[in-house]
Amino acid sequence: MITSNERMDHFMNRINSGEKIEADDWMPDDYREALIRLISMHGISEIMGALPEKEWVPKAPSIYRKLAIMAKVQDEMGHGQLLLRVAEDLMEPLGRNRDDIMKDLFSGKLKFHNVFHMKAPTWGDAGVIAWLVDGAAIISQTMMLGTSYGPYGRALKRICAEEVFHAQHGESIIMALAEGTKEQRTLLQDSINRWWTSLLMFFGPKTNVETGHSHQDKNMRYKLRTKTNEQLRQEFLTKYVPRVWALGLTIPDPTLKFDEETSEWQYQQPDWEEFKKIVTGHGPKSKERLALRMRSYEMNSWVREALGTSKVSNIAR
Amino acid sequence: MSSPFYEVYEVFSKKTDTSALQHQFSLLAPNEELAFVMAKENFFRREQAADIWVVKRDHIKRMNSEEKEAVKHLEKSYRETKGYGYLKKKWRQYEQEQLTAKDIMGGGEG
Repeated sequence: MITSNERMDHFMNRINSGEKIEADDWMPDDYREALIRLISMHGISEIMGALPEKEWVPKAPSIYRKLAIMAKVQDEMGHGQLLLRVAEDLMEPLGRNRDDIMKDLFSGKLKFHNVFHMKAPTWGDAGVIAWLVDGAAIISQTMMLGTSYGPYGRALKRICAEEVFHAQHGESIIMALAEGTKEQRTLLQDSINRWWTSLLMFFGPKTNVETGHSHQDKNMRYKLRTKTNEQLRQEFLTKYVPRVWALGLTIPDPTLKFDEETSEWQYQQPDWEEFKKIVTGHGPKSKERLALRMRSYEMNSWVREALGTSKVSNIAR
Repeated sequence: MSSPFYEVYEVFSKKTDTSALQHQFSLLAPNEELAFVMAKENFFRREQAADIWVVKRDHIKRMNSEEKEAVKHLEKSYRETKGYGYLKKKWRQYEQEQLTAKDIMGGGEG
């Protein structure tokens, strides 16, 4: 008879020796919960993240740009498919499935990344999203490539390979605008100004002081992540701030500077109360994009019912 | 393991005619035909594929944790060339070089 302590020790030994945990392996409940929370949020963010960009498919400035942004939107939906699959296998023993993930999204229980609650009113925003939002996502996703959960690591490996294309697609849009007319440069500068705070917020608060709770410590102990929110944000600043400045653009934070003594960037903290409002569905575009997602889910429910192996619950009822 | 929301299919593919079949990922689909369409959509938007297989997960017998633990610790050096590494030194004592795998296989074209 194996005691629960022995099982837990065996599990932690596997994690600490670099073994990968698979869906059917025994895992502690809070490990499963942490994974479900992390991966369903990531997966649904990919899907909600396609929405601000898809707005630009019909309005892209050339056929080449249109093909590229369509490919990117398609990739994001593909990433959503991969990640939801990983989450579903974890939820299966709890008797939950994709239908429940969608219901949780619509009820507001399942949140998605702050950046996808925001407006993308100009082509400059399409560029900034692909260059800097995807750039930020690459930093947090590559950090998790070595995650202790095997299926998530394998999904991230596929995702990161495609993110590189997204970032370069973004760089290409940014470069064209930065080297363009005065109007184009102004358009780009406006986009950077509009997105700056959201980009800082993307990595989450530094400690739980800002928002009242944080899962960072547990996720690090379980080797789901290896760096803190602040370490990731610092990496982002080191990678992109010099490039923004090199293009002759500015960042809307007069206090932003690299402190040689601490080897850290100093910056104006975003308003974390505002962050909480945004991610709980009170951002400028939260309701509209959720409504769009809900409408398409309802409109396609007859397809799932017609093809499904057994009854599919209909959230519209 | 039946799910009320479609079924799980595992996707395998090989890059070229001579490469080994590789597991890609899994997906949800209502039937084989759509699983195939989804496999192409999800995993081969860029990657090249010489062949793609989709298999219903329920039709695959997989190892459970105990079975995995059991195969981990099998000692079978007697089946492997590394179990015979000492021969190299022995042959040197007789002023002979040990035949390599290539020498033993002779003129066969890999």
